[in-house]
Amino acid sequence: MDDEKPGEQPTESGRIETDGGPNEVDYLDEKIHMFKPATPFMRDHLKVIWGLFAVWVVFTFGPVTATAVAPEVMTNTYVLGFQLHYFLTALGSPIGALLLSALYAWRRDVLDTRYGVDHSTDVKGDTGQTVAADGGEQA
Amino acid sequence: MIEPFALEVASDLFDGGFKLFPAVTLVAMLAVFLGVGWFFRVAAVDEMWVAGRSIGAVENGMAIAANWMSVAAYLGVASTVALLGYFGLAYVVGWTTGYFILLIFLAAQFRRFGKYTAPDFVGDRYYSDLGRALAASTTLLIAFVYIIAQGNGLGLMAQYIFGVSYEVGVILLMAITIGYVALSGMLGATKNMALQYVILISAFLLGLYATGWTQGWSTVLPFVEYGNQATAMAEIERQYTEPFANATYYHWIALCVSLIAGTCGLPHVLVRFYTADNERNARWATVWGLFFTLLLFLGTAAYAAFGSLLYQDNVGEYTEMTGTESDTLVVLTAYLANLPEWLVGIVAAGAIAAGLATTAGLFISASSAAAHDIYTNLYKEDATQREQLIVGRSTILVLGAIVTYLALNPPALIAEVVGMSFALAGTVLFPVFFLGLWWEDATREGAIAGMVVGLFFGFGSIVNEVLPQYVGALSGEAIFPTFATIVPATSSSLVGVPAVMVTIIVVSQFTDDPPEDVKRLVRQCHSPEPMEKLQSAEDVATDGGTPADD
Repeated sequence: MDDEKPGEQPTESGRIETDGGPNEVDYLDEKIHMFKPATPFMRDHLKVIWGLFAVWVVFTFGPVTATAVAPEVMTNTYVLGFQLHYFLTALGSPIGALLLSALYAWRRDVLDTRYGVDHSTDVKGDTGQTVAADGGEQA
Repeated sequence: MIEPFALEVASDLFDGGFKLFPAVTLVAMLAVFLGVGWFFRVAAVDEMWVAGRSIGAVENGMAIAANWMSVAAYLGVASTVALLGYFGLAYVVGWTTGYFILLIFLAAQFRRFGKYTAPDFVGDRYYSDLGRALAASTTLLIAFVYIIAQGNGLGLMAQYIFGVSYEVGVILLMAITIGYVALSGMLGATKNMALQYVILISAFLLGLYATGWTQGWSTVLPFVEYGNQATAMAEIERQYTEPFANATYYHWIALCVSLIAGTCGLPHVLVRFYTADNERNARWATVWGLFFTLLLFLGTAAYAAFGSLLYQDNVGEYTEMTGTESDTLVVLTAYLANLPEWLVGIVAAGAIAAGLATTAGLFISASSAAAHDIYTNLYKEDATQREQLIVGRSTILVLGAIVTYLALNPPALIAEVVGMSFALAGTVLFPVFFLGLWWEDATREGAIAGMVVGLFFGFGSIVNEVLPQYVGALSGEAIFPTFATIVPATSSSLVGVPAVMVTIIVVSQFTDDPPEDVKRLVRQCHSPEPMEKLQSAEDVATDGGTPADD
């Protein structure tokens, strides 16, 4: 991701569309399709999502796949007393997921700033009783 | 792969009879939970919360973690890591890395949609009461399977604390739980999730640190210091860390994927995002939630290594460990490390706290699914509050009775049974959530067809493997062994999720597009515009038009 200010970009339909902020795009008129993001915000958001998702796949399924491919190397290498395959699976994948989650939350914060999303206005009110929490009594 | 186990123990963990201090700890813990629930009830009535109280990211993270952690996390995962070796780590990986998928694809959008329960989401997003009913039935099934595992763990702990038989233990603690649900439901005790987390993680870590210290195995970070013990176990018995000794690569991946999808499909975790004070905090709460979950899951593998080694030294071959012993491994470790009885008791009480909180939550989600989504929406539109209350309460009683009976003779290890309920949630609900939020053209017919296919894989695989254990005429093997190999009960999502997604996409292509207001609702979930705290996408998207019926 870069920090350049979003400017005017021609869309696929040839229409000029600004992506300067929520006020200039009517988000309720654009189609939601995971692989064809129609708004600049979704495009930028999905870039972050897919990028981190690819890393996540490697973190999550990489250690076990490496162990299946090269069992000798993985089980005979030792890290902190652990066998490598055990270390990467039991500690690497979970801790990797934590780091990636923090990275995503941080990237989203950056994205929010770029699009002028302000979270300070919506801090009020109580969460109230939820349907899930009252055993159906308030339904 | 799933085998029934006999309730036998070679160690003398359960021989002590009634233990006063652990029992007092348990009672005190329950009293504190109810007390906190009562206190916040009063606060809510005083409208103190409306005056600006908000739940921050850290506190909400604890609540997410507490909601999440059941007996399966507390006791069960250590058991599978010890007994199933490397295959058991698939539980650790699936149950932690799944949070990330939940965070990037579902959490914020689901929060924006403004629905708390799976049936409500499905009913509104797919403008269908039949869809709502299918989702509600699935919620009931998930709760049903999930609670069996909790009953199993609770029974084992009661056996230790009260010195009663396993059967009496199950009945005793299930009765206490149902009573607790009845009381806490009235008190709104869901507010003390953060407190429950602190109590259960303290108990868990206390046992782990004490064991590591007294045995000279670990100091400040047992999570990364058990390498030599794990390797020592591998030298005694290769199976402990040998990759794919107990299951193939395919089964490892299938289990991991199912637990990840299940994490994203389990409604009672999604509920937590709505209590965050804003969307940014909802995201950071997930990060905190994962951190707090890791404290337990990383500790769990350490417990498995410490416990197995202690078992090997003090009792006998760890491979001879019974299912009961492995399912109590966390407590057994503290016991075998010769820690004082009060400390072992606290570890056991922590397990009960974990089971109790989750069971209470599940009973409540089951009762609201039955009373609100099935009875009122489908059967009797004008059902009174009183009728709904009766239906809700009866659901808890009937469900409680059936699961208590089944927990007397549990079909598998605790984590395996919970794995089944995750696979069910992952297979049936995850694709419906995912496509519903990310593809506005997913239609009612597509979702219904998808859920039916999901139930076939998710529930079919469970019936296929578990039913023979209860029906004498069948051999005890899976009804269709090939189906069980390709679609294991704990791991149906690897096959199920793609099958359901393809079904939804194909059927959606051949049916009419969703109505415009539903599409606008989905769009609102992806808009960067901030919303008011209590606003749902529905409020914004309908723009003063006709609100969707609820």
